[in-house]
Order: sequence, then structure tokens, then C-alpha cells
Amino acid sequence: MKTTRAFRAALTAATALIAVGFAGAATAEDVTLEYWVYSDFAQGDALAMQQEFIKEFTDAHPGVTINISGKGDDDLTAGQVAGAASGTVPDVYMNAQSVGAQLVDVGAMANIYTQFMALPEEQRAQFDKDALASCMPKPDELYCLPYTGFGSLLFRNLTVLEKAGIDPATPPATWAEWYDQMQKVKAAGMYAIPDETLVFNSIAEIYATTGNTETWGFDWPNRKTRIDEATMTTVLQKFVDMVPLNTGTSRNDQATKDLFISNQLAFHTIGPWVNPTYDEAAKASGLKYDFVLIPGDTAGKTGGIRSYEIVAVAPGKNQEIAFQFAAFITEKAQMARWAKLLARYNANAAAMADPEVSALPLIKVSVDAAHGAMEVAAPYFVGSIPSCYNSTVIDYASATADGDYTPAEGAKEMIAALNECMAQ
Amino acid sequence: MPFRRYLPHYLMIAPFMVLFAVFFLYPILSGLFYSFHDWNGVRTPEFVGAANYTKIIGSRDFSRAMGNLAAYIAITVPLGILVALGLALLVDSFTGRWSNFFRNAYFMPVVLPAFLAATIWRWIYAPNFGLLNIVLGWFGIPSVNFLNDTDTMLYALIAVDIWVSAGFNMVIILAGLKNIPTELYEAARLDGASKRQQLFHVTVPMLWPVLFFVLTYGLISAMQVFDKPWLLTGSSFTSYGGRRNALLFPVMDMMGRAFGGVKFGEAAAYGFLLTIAIVVVTGVMFGLRAWSERR
Amino acid sequence: MSTMRKQRRLTVWTALKWALALAIALVAVFPIWWMINVVFAQAGEPVSLNPRLWPTSLGAGIDKIATIFAETGYLRAYGISILYALLTIAGVLLVGSLAAFEFSLFEFPGRKILFGVVLLALMVPTAVTIIPTYVLVSRLGWLNTMEGLVVPGLASAFGLFMLVQFMRAIPKDMIEAARLDGAGHFQIYWHVVLPLCRNALVTLAILTFIQTWGNYMWPLIVGTREELYTVGQVVGQFNSPLSHHTVDTVMTANLLAAVPPLIFFLIFQRQIVQGIAMSGSKG
Repeated sequence: MKTTRAFRAALTAATALIAVGFAGAATAEDVTLEYWVYSDFAQGDALAMQQEFIKEFTDAHPGVTINISGKGDDDLTAGQVAGAASGTVPDVYMNAQSVGAQLVDVGAMANIYTQFMALPEEQRAQFDKDALASCMPKPDELYCLPYTGFGSLLFRNLTVLEKAGIDPATPPATWAEWYDQMQKVKAAGMYAIPDETLVFNSIAEIYATTGNTETWGFDWPNRKTRIDEATMTTVLQKFVDMVPLNTGTSRNDQATKDLFISNQLAFHTIGPWVNPTYDEAAKASGLKYDFVLIPGDTAGKTGGIRSYEIVAVAPGKNQEIAFQFAAFITEKAQMARWAKLLARYNANAAAMADPEVSALPLIKVSVDAAHGAMEVAAPYFVGSIPSCYNSTVIDYASATADGDYTPAEGAKEMIAALNECMAQ
Repeated sequence: MPFRRYLPHYLMIAPFMVLFAVFFLYPILSGLFYSFHDWNGVRTPEFVGAANYTKIIGSRDFSRAMGNLAAYIAITVPLGILVALGLALLVDSFTGRWSNFFRNAYFMPVVLPAFLAATIWRWIYAPNFGLLNIVLGWFGIPSVNFLNDTDTMLYALIAVDIWVSAGFNMVIILAGLKNIPTELYEAARLDGASKRQQLFHVTVPMLWPVLFFVLTYGLISAMQVFDKPWLLTGSSFTSYGGRRNALLFPVMDMMGRAFGGVKFGEAAAYGFLLTIAIVVVTGVMFGLRAWSERR
Repeated sequence: MSTMRKQRRLTVWTALKWALALAIALVAVFPIWWMINVVFAQAGEPVSLNPRLWPTSLGAGIDKIATIFAETGYLRAYGISILYALLTIAGVLLVGSLAAFEFSLFEFPGRKILFGVVLLALMVPTAVTIIPTYVLVSRLGWLNTMEGLVVPGLASAFGLFMLVQFMRAIPKDMIEAARLDGAGHFQIYWHVVLPLCRNALVTLAILTFIQTWGNYMWPLIVGTREELYTVGQVVGQFNSPLSHHTVDTVMTANLLAAVPPLIFFLIFQRQIVQGIAMSGSKG
């Protein structure tokens, strides 16, 4: 805390000095860029680093000012959609891949393909191939630069496992082993897992233990779901099997984290963002936990989903300089510093390979998790996902878990309802 | 010239009416226009006739949302008023400092921003460790998953709703109580009326105009319920309504279609369908009042 | 004998009444109290170990509050929200009372139709109008300005409706008497009617304050720059479900948002009931 404060004071002083130095040199072409980021990136140490990036960029580009604003997930979307309606989209902004198509649809995202191709080959090669490809619905259309991302992890409460007579040294390698452990945990009087049918992403995480990207997501040309009936039947059976073992709370609920912290829950499948909470609990109350890959049906297959946050640029007169800034913050040097600060995985493969970065345990596991995981809503940037889609998936998964359908019926009905929803 | 005679009146209402016309009437009318168009907020609206309306009426989510709304209103509005009336009578039966104390205590939840109330209640309702489940545990009742069990979700919402709004309605009813002339009670007492008879023959009839206001306003706002179920279910634009859509309400679906699906024409049509429902219900209320007064 | 029994029954009833009143007060206030305790407790303690029935660590709470003030624009957001609320209150009261004065006390052609249209607007959900209003505000060049936040909300249909209900109770002969004394139209409004419904105005002010303070969607899309973030928006940064924040920080951010409305209410609470009460007294 003290060091950051000193660091920030130094930064302010430096900024002031430079401001004085440049006061005379301010060019006629002053540009102000609006830069929207996720709210966690606009607070505390993350904000200090973002401001450092901004300062480095504006130092190299005199006359450019960058205003950073942090917003929650939904607020980013609402603000950008509203901004499109009034022609005031922020110049550079973040959001999730899965809302990309909506933003392209309302004209909030510039096609930055030409600008991207003008970057040095070495810089273009830094990006994770899959992540970059997900920004390109067509060979000559690029709507975003992939930024931070995640592959879901399996957080394990080691105390619970030991109490249930499970040796935590070797994580479960297959679904069968994992399910066996879940039953042992339940038999020992504790909860095995949150209710995975409550949230779209946790349904996807379990689906990925059997299925893969090709059998998930959207068949846009025919406006149908790609979900495979046989796979979904298997997965729904897993949900039915987990009913007696689960907490009844979703993976995002505070109650789930409370159960995990107080040694009553063994497994929690979620992204790396819960780590600060568990880390704090480890210090305060001696929680013993680790994070491993989510096992799939066969050894070597990984469950879980991956998704990236993206940086996009608004079309318009500031597009050129805005792209320069987007390219700057997604460049290896910045992405490596960013990853080290947050201990968080991102889409710059070169930065992830940096020895100091890959030494961080959360990043090390995240790299593997992201590579083995299923895309959560691919293909991106083609069509707007209808608002009925996710709720239909949740609805049928929950109903099957409740016993209203057999897994086979549930899968069939779900797919029919999804195709109907997509056709609208 | 009669207009000159009325000029001062028009001048006095002008500020309100101008602001109202610009910032309410115009947006409402343009919303009506867009409701017949396919419009994403940016592109040129494309006329689609009544397609938005028919599509919504035919959608599963619409019937679910309307069904939920009917069940919600049927309970929350009458129950809310009964609770508020009870609280008002209770507070009114105290005097001086205690009357003030209870009134303020009961009003306190009204002051909280909705997001705060929802955050608190999500904790209270949490299974196992939630405050409510801890209390139920003292009586040996097993943990209830209030916000994810489709049997309890609606009631969990209604409880929060009443917790928040009872104080507001109580204050209005209290004011009405204070306005009932004490002579009426004295006259009733002289006629030998018991406490209960006084309640039903003096208090309630005299309160009727106030109760009617509370009822009508409560109904109109209940039909537009949005932030409490949205926050209690942890909804987002891409997924909302809670487990099996048990807490899906029309305005939530409308917001999801607007900002999640960027279909503003469709969202506007949704809004007008809801408006029609509200106007009809309110119309029935006023009709009933007129009918009961004529009798 | 019978009087004694009656007295005894009375005390039982009184005791029951007190018990009920206190129990309800507990239900109403305890969740807020509990929230305070969550903030003033060590971070990371699971609720099962510490049910937070009273504050356990003042220092931890102060630390959390200090961190939030240091790391977010919370103090500036207080300023923005208070200014937004006060300007809205001033506007709603002025504009609304002018119109209510006419609608409730005078006859003029179009009165019924105009009032009916305003009431009808009460029934249109805001979600219908939010984008057209937003586009309009942006054409006026009011994005990221205080007027963009405030002005569209001034013509409050609810406020008008409420004030009309109050003013209807003012006896017409008082207005006539003032007119005979030579008072002009505006003077009657200013010197006679406004003082009479002072408490009603305070009530509307409190309700407007609560409503403005809790308003989320409109500030979100109109005030997109951090300089214009309201408290709701700053809290919204903490409330997104997938953020890195731990629950204690989230709770602290939420609780801080409730402090000004609670203070505002405690200052003006006396007026609420009196305000509504005085209006109808002439029935």
C-alpha cells in the first residue's frame, strides 16, 4: 500500500513536470480520446498502471489526451449502445466478445483490419491465434484486439477433500474420477459443487466436459443452435446426477464463496476472478485451496469455457489514433506488466511466455485452461444473440435437473426451443 | 376575449407543459412510431407493421412475464396495502415520541436505494448461512433456497417489496387517519359502537379516498416492477429472470430486448403492450370507484 | 370486578401491541444494522463464524471506507449526486407547484384534457422512452452535462399528481379573499398557496431526493465520463457479479451510498406526516 502511494506520488510529480515541459509544445491538433474499461481496471493498482500506459502513450503522442472511465459489465454495453444511437461511442473501449455482434450491428465498432495489417509482423504475431481469429468473422474483417481472458478453473478446497478421504495431490483426471470424488464429499456430509444449472456459463462449463466448440454456440447461416442432442443428453444426465450433491446456489453467488471459505464446499468451477476472495480468506481464516484444470470425459480433455475481453475502436475521425492506442496497450511489454500486476491471463501469447509471467501459478494454469476450453458463444461478430437464447438453455437445464424432463427429452425440447428462438 | 382572461393560467402551467411535451410526450410518441419499425437505435427505422407486436405476443417469454406479473400483483398489491394499513393503525395508536419512533423505523427501508436493499436481501436469503436460514435453523427448519427455488422465489420478492414499500404507504395512510375528524368517533361511541365497528364503519370509509390513491399508484408501479427482481436474481442483459424465469417481469424482458438484443423497436412495442395493460387496469379501478360511489 | 378484568385485558393488549410494534421495527431496521456490521468486521471471515449481529472491528470498517474513498471518485460522486438531487428538487417543486396551482384551483379550457394526458404518461414505462429521450438530449448537446441529467426529469407527472391532490383541499374562499384584497394571480400562488402547502412540498422534496438518488439507468447513459459519475454509478462498478472485489468492499461501497439519504430523511422526517396531514384537513 505504502509503495503504491509513493509510486503514485512520484507519478503525479512526473506528470506535472512533463505537463510543464510540454505546455509550450502542445500542438494544434489536440485530440481527446474517451477510453472505457472494466470497473476493476479503473480502481487501485490497476488504475495506476492504466494511467501509466496512458502517460507513456501520450508522451509519445503530444497533443493526445486520454480520459479513462471504468464501468461494470452491463453498463459498458448500455453506454456503448446508447452512445451509438447518439453518435458518441467512446473512442477506445473494452467489452466481452459475446456482445461484439450487437456492437458491430449498431455501428459502434470499426473494422480495423487494414490498420492491424499495417502493424509490424512481429507485433501481430504476439497475439494468441485463436483469440485473434475470434475477432475476425471474415478474412478481411477485424473488429477487436483480444485483451484479458480466462479459461475456467476448478477451485478445490483441500481441507474438505482430506476430510472426505480424498488425496488432493492428484487432481481428478476424468469426469468419472471427479464425480466419484464429489460423491465421497457428499457422503462425508459436505457439499460437492454449486448448482451448475443456474447460470449459462456454468452450464457451458459442464457441457464442455463432454462437448466442444463445434457442438456449442451458433450455426448462423441456418440460424440454428449447434448444440448436439446426444451430447446435451449426456450433460443433462450429469446435472441430474449432481442434484443431490450441490449447494443449490449458483457459481456466482456470495453464498457459494462463503461455503467454500468455511470448508463446506469442495469444488467451485469459475474464472480466476474469485482468487482475490479466496486468497484473502486463506490469510484471514486459513483456507487451504488450489486451482486445477476442469477434467473432461476422457483423460487429457479439459472442460470449462474460455472467453476474452476485447479492446475495440469506434469508427470516425479519431479512429487512427485510437487504434494506435489500442495497439499500444495490447502490445507485449504492456500486456506482460498488466499480467504480472493482476496475476491474470491475457491474449498476448508472447507476454504469457515471458518467464516472469509464466512463473505465476494462476497464469500458468490459466494458459492451459484457456487452450483446452470451449468457446462460450462462438462464432463471434456474426449475429446478435437473441435475448431468449441463454434463458432457454438455463430453463431446460434447470427443468431437467428438477425432474420435469428426462435428460433425453430435455435435450430434444431445449434444442427445438433454441432453434425457434434463433429463427425469430 | 376569453383567451386573455385565461392567459395567466396558461402562463403558469407553461413551464411544466413545455418540459413535459419535450421530454415525455415527444419521446412517448416517437417510441410509438418506433414500435412499428425494426430499429436498432442507429440504422434508419424500417417499417414492419404490427410485426413487433405479434412477435412479442407469440413469444414464450412474454406469456411467462405476464403470468408472473399477474401472480405478483394479485398478492403484493392487496397484501402491501393491508400491511401498510396495519402499520398505520399501529403507529397511530401510540402517541408522542413513540409514535414518531415507530413511524421513522418503519419508514427507514423506503429511504434505501433499490440496489442496496437488493444486496442486503440477497444475503439474508442466502441458503445455509443467510440470516433468515440461520433463524429458521434455530427452529429446526432445514435451509430454504429462497432465491433459486421456483416455489419460493415470487414470495421472496414480494417480502422485499413489502419491506420496502410498506413504510411509504403507511405514511400516506397515517396522514389520512389524522384527517378523520375526532367527532365522528365520538358520535360512533355515543351510538355504542365497539372498537371494531368504529374501524369498519368510520375509519375505513373515511380513509377510502386515500386507500384508493395508494391502491391505484401501487398497482401502476407494481406493473412496472423492474429493479428489485432484476437485482435479486443477479440479472444481466444477456440473461435475466432468475431460475426458470420465475422472476421474469415485462419491464425486465423489455430492457433485455433493448440493450441485450439491441431491438429498440421491439422493446418499444413491448412497452406499449404493457402500457395498454396498465391503462386497462387503471380504467377498471376508476370505473369500479365510480360504480361504487353511484350506488 | 368487571372493570378490573377490563383493565387486565387492556394491559395484555397493550403488551401485545408493544411487542408487535417492536418486532416490526426490528424487521424494518435490522437488515440495515446488519449491513453496517458487515462493513465493520474483519474481511474474509465467513458469516458462519461471525454472524455479524454487532460490529466486531471498527478499525477494519474505517480501513475499508478509507480505501474506497482513496481508490474511487466516491467523494466527487457524492457532490454530483447531491447537486443532481437538489437541482431536480428545486425544479420539480417550482414547475410542479406552478402547474398544480392551476390544475387544482382554477377552471380553464383544456384543463381536464391536459391533466389527463399527464396522468396517462404516468402509465408508460420509462424503458419505452429512454432511448428517444437520450437521443434528444444528445442533439441538444447535453451529454455529460448537469442539465442533461436534471432537465428531462423536471416535469414529474407524479409530483404534479401529488401536489394537485394537496392543493385541492385549499378552500376556494381563501383564494377569493386574497383576490378581493387586491392580490395578483402570481401573488396568490406565492403568498397564499405555497405557504399553505409547505409541508406537502417538503414531502415531495424528500420523495424526489430518494428517487433521484436511486436513479441508475439515466445517469448511466447520460453521464458517461467519470467527472459526472453519480453515487449509483460508482456503486455499480462494485456490483458487477464477476468483478475481482471481495464482498466486504462491495458492501462498504453500497452502505456509503445509503448514508446521505438516511441523513436527509432524519433531518426532514417530521415534515413527512405533517405535510400530508395538513392538506386534507378541510376535506
